[in-house]
Amino acid sequence: MFDQALPRRHVLQAGLGLAGLAAAPFGSRALAADEGDSIIAAAKGIGNTDLKAIMWSNYFVPMKPPIEEFRKATGIAITNIKDLSTPTIPQAAMAEALTRSPDFDIVHLGSEMIPSLVSAGYLEPLDEYMHKANYKMDAVGDYANLATYDGKTYGIITDGNIFVHQLRKDLFENADNKKKFEDKFGKPLAYPKTWDDEFQQMKFFHNPEKGIYGSGNLRSRGFGYPWFLMYLYSFGGFPFDPDMKPTVYGEAGKRAIEVYLRDKEVAFPDSPTWGTSQMIGHITAGDVYSCQYWGGLIKLQENPAKSKTAGKWTYGLVPGGEANGKPLYRAAGMPVVCLMVNRNSPHKAAAAYMACWLGTEKASSQIVSDRVNSFNDAWTKQEMTDPRVVQAYTPGGIKAIQENLQVSSPNIYLTGNQEFVDVLDKNLGQGYLGQLKADEVLKQIDADFAKVVKRIGTAKLKKDYKTYAAIMPKAMQPA
Amino acid sequence: MTETLAGIAPAEAAAARRDVSRSEAVRRFKWMILAPLLLLLFSLLTPVLLLQLYFSFHQWTVYLSSWWNADFAGLDIFQSVFTDPRFGWAVLRSLAFAGGSTIGCFVIGFLLAYLIYRPFRGQALYYALFIVPMLTVPIVIAYTGQMLLDRSGPLNDILSRLTGHDIQVLWLSNPDIALLTVTLLDIWNWTPFSFIIMLAGLSALPKEPVEAAQILGASSWRIFWEVQLPLLRPVILLALVLRFLDAMGAFPIIWGLLQGGPGTATETLGVYIYITTWQDFNVSLGAAQSYVTMMMMVVIVLVAIRLLRREKRSLDTMYAGPREADGAI
Amino acid sequence: MTKSRQRRAATIARYAVLTVWAAIVIFPLYWIVATSFKPQDQWFSWPPVYLPSPPTLENYRDVWLGATSFEHGGQTALSLQTPFLALRNSLILAFGATTLAVLYGSIIAYGVSRYRLLSETRMFQLLMLRMVPPIVIVAPLSLYFSYIGLLDSMIGLGIMYFLTSLPYAVWMTKSFIDEVPREVEQAAEILGASRWRTVFEVVLPLIRSGLVATFMFILILNWSEYLLALILSKTHVVTLPVELSKFEGSTEGRLFGRQAALSVGITLPLIIVGLFIRKHLARGFSFGMVRR
Repeated sequence: MFDQALPRRHVLQAGLGLAGLAAAPFGSRALAADEGDSIIAAAKGIGNTDLKAIMWSNYFVPMKPPIEEFRKATGIAITNIKDLSTPTIPQAAMAEALTRSPDFDIVHLGSEMIPSLVSAGYLEPLDEYMHKANYKMDAVGDYANLATYDGKTYGIITDGNIFVHQLRKDLFENADNKKKFEDKFGKPLAYPKTWDDEFQQMKFFHNPEKGIYGSGNLRSRGFGYPWFLMYLYSFGGFPFDPDMKPTVYGEAGKRAIEVYLRDKEVAFPDSPTWGTSQMIGHITAGDVYSCQYWGGLIKLQENPAKSKTAGKWTYGLVPGGEANGKPLYRAAGMPVVCLMVNRNSPHKAAAAYMACWLGTEKASSQIVSDRVNSFNDAWTKQEMTDPRVVQAYTPGGIKAIQENLQVSSPNIYLTGNQEFVDVLDKNLGQGYLGQLKADEVLKQIDADFAKVVKRIGTAKLKKDYKTYAAIMPKAMQPA
Repeated sequence: MTETLAGIAPAEAAAARRDVSRSEAVRRFKWMILAPLLLLLFSLLTPVLLLQLYFSFHQWTVYLSSWWNADFAGLDIFQSVFTDPRFGWAVLRSLAFAGGSTIGCFVIGFLLAYLIYRPFRGQALYYALFIVPMLTVPIVIAYTGQMLLDRSGPLNDILSRLTGHDIQVLWLSNPDIALLTVTLLDIWNWTPFSFIIMLAGLSALPKEPVEAAQILGASSWRIFWEVQLPLLRPVILLALVLRFLDAMGAFPIIWGLLQGGPGTATETLGVYIYITTWQDFNVSLGAAQSYVTMMMMVVIVLVAIRLLRREKRSLDTMYAGPREADGAI
Repeated sequence: MTKSRQRRAATIARYAVLTVWAAIVIFPLYWIVATSFKPQDQWFSWPPVYLPSPPTLENYRDVWLGATSFEHGGQTALSLQTPFLALRNSLILAFGATTLAVLYGSIIAYGVSRYRLLSETRMFQLLMLRMVPPIVIVAPLSLYFSYIGLLDSMIGLGIMYFLTSLPYAVWMTKSFIDEVPREVEQAAEILGASRWRTVFEVVLPLIRSGLVATFMFILILNWSEYLLALILSKTHVVTLPVELSKFEGSTEGRLFGRQAALSVGITLPLIIVGLFIRKHLARGFSFGMVRR
């Protein structure tokens, strides 16, 4: 046995050396292609491994070809998934964490759960594996920071969810509309730069009689809060101060809640319960003038087989607020769906390399350019110029994604994220229905936040705060 | 049982001996039946209830420590349950939902049962149709409801066509209507249950009192109110109690349809406990909420049991006479 | 003359009411079926599309055959796993737990009916097992199950289904056993049959139709159970109602067509079986509150 094993290892090492040599002469151009090889080299010694993951099958389908490739090269594959819809995955992952279960090797979910899962002792830091495999998440802007916690990387991004501003070009560029708008407001109908601009235009175009609604933004439970956070950030606000005292009730909060609530004037009356499934139908059917939406929608909108509005949109940077008299742009980057590795898994190395593999330019561009299984979105630098990806998103769409990625802002990035989100959901919901006044919403959010902070522990959250503050985008606006 | 046996036995001494061995055997027989159930209940429920109790007195913050290291919190957690207005509203909503569903199911179920219990052409067809909603899976009903009840969905469209007005009821998004909407869906789902119980009751009614009343010239309305209805009391109570208790625990329809929204308009006990425990991972608060809910349900069930027992007793005495006579023959 | 006219009016009114309710019953069911044949742009459209045009089998194909084996304009379609694992689990769990519950329940019911195995109070307390909503114990239960290895196991979920269906099983079968004349058993006993044989070979066969009704009712409850299955399962014991809820993404929304295609598959078998035994159903529901 032993005699036989030894030569095999020698052969392997020799193979590794060769792989390294072969890659060297190609210089920087080859580095990207080489990325995959170095992951394979790092993973090769592990041997055949069947990985189990918690993942939604619709995310999984486009990953199958690259996984198959990795299996051929290393024997490692994701063979079994617990197929859950994305909203239930955080629950499932936390339940796994609480029982320290080794059952799953990989979980695939939004990065906002990283602090909670790390605190519960579930996630394996990936930096060491990334280093060994010579892999780096080459995301646009600071986007990759959204998968880190306390300086360590815990997730490999597969879905670059980012809000993109979407405007109906056919209405916006219509000469008649331009004139009417100018007559009415004394200024040209230009691409909206601020939330006030956007609201003015939404109101101008809002005409339910004709089936056009000004806004396609979401306001329902579980869907509405990213908008509120985006508004809050863009007015220079932040939900907490460094001592973890809630600070939603303040100038930025007041502006944010105003923008959040006034959407009602130009929204579908159903918006208190509409999630994406209902709204997407109306957006693609041409019932909406303006909205911020996840970039992935572009692939659907511009697919004539599925959309009545292909070619009728213009995409761009989300409108902004201001801080200290300067314009400030913050696009909601949530959920940043990542592959994360279970610390208690016996196959964590294999799982980590698999995650790196799926995060390479080569695999990722293939995954995100799938126009039917359109759930994974572009996020790496190279994808922004990859012809397949550009074709799927249209050149205008990909440019808008690239801009917004540079100011992508996180969900509440603290241990207990779900609890903080529930507070937002409840109070924003009641505010939107008119059961609470704007000021009351903010005060109630602060009061409820304070309770959650107290329960989870101020000291603990003060540490989390550092990460949360650190992963906020630095740039006021995209370069 | 023993009495009749004693009658069969020839010699008294032998009978006594046999009685002893017989009652021993019966005892063993009884235990053989019960033992597995008791064992299962004991091994399953005891640890679960103890864990639940532990969590309601210890603040377990899942991110900070293992559950056995949770801090003792005394009655603090229960206090936060009782001072939480959101919990109070959830209780009220659950009661309203369960009450509405119970009454709705009963009224419709009884009406349908009354219209169908005497043979007529098409009886079998209607009967078959009416039980179908009970055979559909609640979560399916919830997801279908999302389409049907959309503002521009088929329900509003049909209502508009029928009335000639443009009807745009926000079945789901209007917080004043949403709870009623889920109640209506639950009624759709569970009317067959009340319908079948009432049908069983109606078809088992003795014919003699009705015939006697008819001979006396009573109107069918009076026969219904004064003869049939009193006879049906136990069945009616049964239909109401079972439905109410079941509706108190309803979860999939509400969760699948609205997840407690819009705002908190359909946040019933089940939904709120689910959110606390599985979304917030506030296991301790969830446990305390569960305990309070459990106690509340126990009280309701005890009241229901008292009512049902009283009816059952009066039924037993009513029928006791002829039964014993049967046995004597 | 007036009497017969009155009667006719009553008959018409009766048919009218029954038909209206029948329509209310049928429409949502029709909508599920129709949606399962609709392409995506007709799931939510105004005015609503009543007849899928053109009807498509895409949803059924994607759900039941799994999409990976199909090419579709050069691209793979959505969805991946076929629900057959869930179907298998649901079949085993629902039928297994229901069979055991009805069998065991009828034995208990026999004991209660003939030997006062449980007092009336205990009988009502038994109902409580069913009437306390599962949500209140499911958190500690899943923790406990994870320690004793019953989480994500057929046995664990099966035990819960068995326990929660037992009260109905006992109550429903008892009302049938009460109706069986004792003379039959006495005759069997005198012939030398043991108590167990009397139960299995004399009493239970006599209440066949009652057992069928009880079985069906409990099967319905177990087949559609959602919460316990959601929380006590991981990958192995996913059941159909849980499988159904996966057709949703956080930013992509619900896939109604596929969901409907699966719903039809989940609901249809139950409806067919239910219609076959509908005659038995009514009797089982009297819980001893009706005397014949």
